[in-house]
Amino acid sequence: MNGDVGFFRKLPSALPGLALIVLTMVVIRNWIEPWMTTAVIFGTKGWLVKVTHLNYILLGIIMGMLYRNVVFGGKMPDVLSDGFKLSRLMIKTGIILLGSLYTFNAIVQLGSMAIFLIGGFVILTIIMVLWFGTLLGLDRSMIGVMANALSICGVTAAVATSPGVEAKASHVAYAIATILGFGILTMFISPFIGHALELTDLQYGAWIGTGILNSGQVLAAALAFNPNVAPGTAVSVAEIWNIMRVISIPFAVFAVTVWYWAGKTESGEGGKRKGLGTLLVEKFPVFVLGFLGMVFLTSMGAFGDVGLKGGPAASETIKMMRLWMTWIFGFGLVGLGGYIDFKELRQAGGAPLKLGLIVGVTKYVLALVVVFLIKDYLVAI
Amino acid sequence: MGFKNIVVAVDGSEASQEALNYAVELARQSKCALTGLFIIDGGWPDYIGNDWQSSKAARQGFLDYIFKEQEEQADAARKQFETATTGMETVFSLLGGDPTEEMLKIANAASTDIFVLSRRVFQVSGRPSLKSLAKTLAQKATRPLLLLA
Repeated sequence: MNGDVGFFRKLPSALPGLALIVLTMVVIRNWIEPWMTTAVIFGTKGWLVKVTHLNYILLGIIMGMLYRNVVFGGKMPDVLSDGFKLSRLMIKTGIILLGSLYTFNAIVQLGSMAIFLIGGFVILTIIMVLWFGTLLGLDRSMIGVMANALSICGVTAAVATSPGVEAKASHVAYAIATILGFGILTMFISPFIGHALELTDLQYGAWIGTGILNSGQVLAAALAFNPNVAPGTAVSVAEIWNIMRVISIPFAVFAVTVWYWAGKTESGEGGKRKGLGTLLVEKFPVFVLGFLGMVFLTSMGAFGDVGLKGGPAASETIKMMRLWMTWIFGFGLVGLGGYIDFKELRQAGGAPLKLGLIVGVTKYVLALVVVFLIKDYLVAI
Repeated sequence: MGFKNIVVAVDGSEASQEALNYAVELARQSKCALTGLFIIDGGWPDYIGNDWQSSKAARQGFLDYIFKEQEEQADAARKQFETATTGMETVFSLLGGDPTEEMLKIANAASTDIFVLSRRVFQVSGRPSLKSLAKTLAQKATRPLLLLA
């Protein structure tokens, strides 16, 4: 079963889907969003923007969801399918380009706090899932998958963990449905909560980077709060937090696999367990290397001044790259919406859902509380 | 009513055994052909959102792992079918794709005189949406359908 989607090989068949995505985003940004800022609703000019906080990011995701679940009746037509699949690559390509927001100094400033927070939350969440999953009487494999899915990075962590803990397909399927369902909810409510609590970009980025489970959803929630892409904006903070979390995937997979096999010593099948070195090679996310490469080029001044706080203004090249990023993310998030399948999410349930909701909500709320507690120690770039 | 071809969905589970027993009995009484059906779920790459930038082996490694599990289930289904139909002339059909779509094609094919399946078939390894497979077939099948608990 090959799910690989090589960009150039797939490009011709992807054109119709990509065209629809591009057209959707062009209409949203050039007509719908400007109309929303001037439309008078309930006697208030720009009510849709001021009260609902809708922007091109949320509209793009909503349109993607509508295409799949309403317009096309639950399944993307074959002619559009490859284009929507390829759009996923845009999110990660955009994250690679986000590396141009930071120099290594800025990463160290932001990242030191992120390591502390993310590390603490990953460990705490794993312990919570192992304990609570056992309490609920869940299968040991299912607990292992849920532990990493809820602690690190949603789908990637769930699928990366499953072979090591002998998870059945149904375990992974229900874990994915649970975390995606929870993630979609948090993706839409977080901007409202952030604005209601008058969080700064720094506080908001740190919160959702810690509390939301999935990379794409972290990105969407950050851009929904503040659609600008520049140093110090919500997306620049949230993505550093997110990348710190993604980097921990091989380590968490190793830890949970050790836990799983420790409870299976009587079966003598521990030989299936992989070493940390192998896991690092196999599970390390490729896009993080691209991101670090971009940070390196930016630190070397390859694109001119970055426009950090207190420094020279951003160069024209950097400004242009940031504009591209807003479009790339916009396209990618229409595609993300197109892969939210209500049919799959509706059928999720039972103990995995209970476990996911309890741990997910606890993590989400606790992250907000912790960000409030440490807000004076958060460093802006 | 005389049947020429009965199709039964099997997945190696207890639920499909009951449907299989019923289909075998029906085929013996009608002296007609019996086709066993298993579908390897091809919807996983989309479901997990596979792409090459994630990591070298995280997602593709998982797809290989799941494919192996499904092959084992297909073997279990084939054995279950062959054991139940010993001495009969039968065909075991192994398909790939979205189970709901593939089964709907079978349920609407002119060559299918009756399609027999358990309401719980393919849930042993399936995605959450497969819970509503029986309901979808009941709504959309144009040929006779026999749904067992």
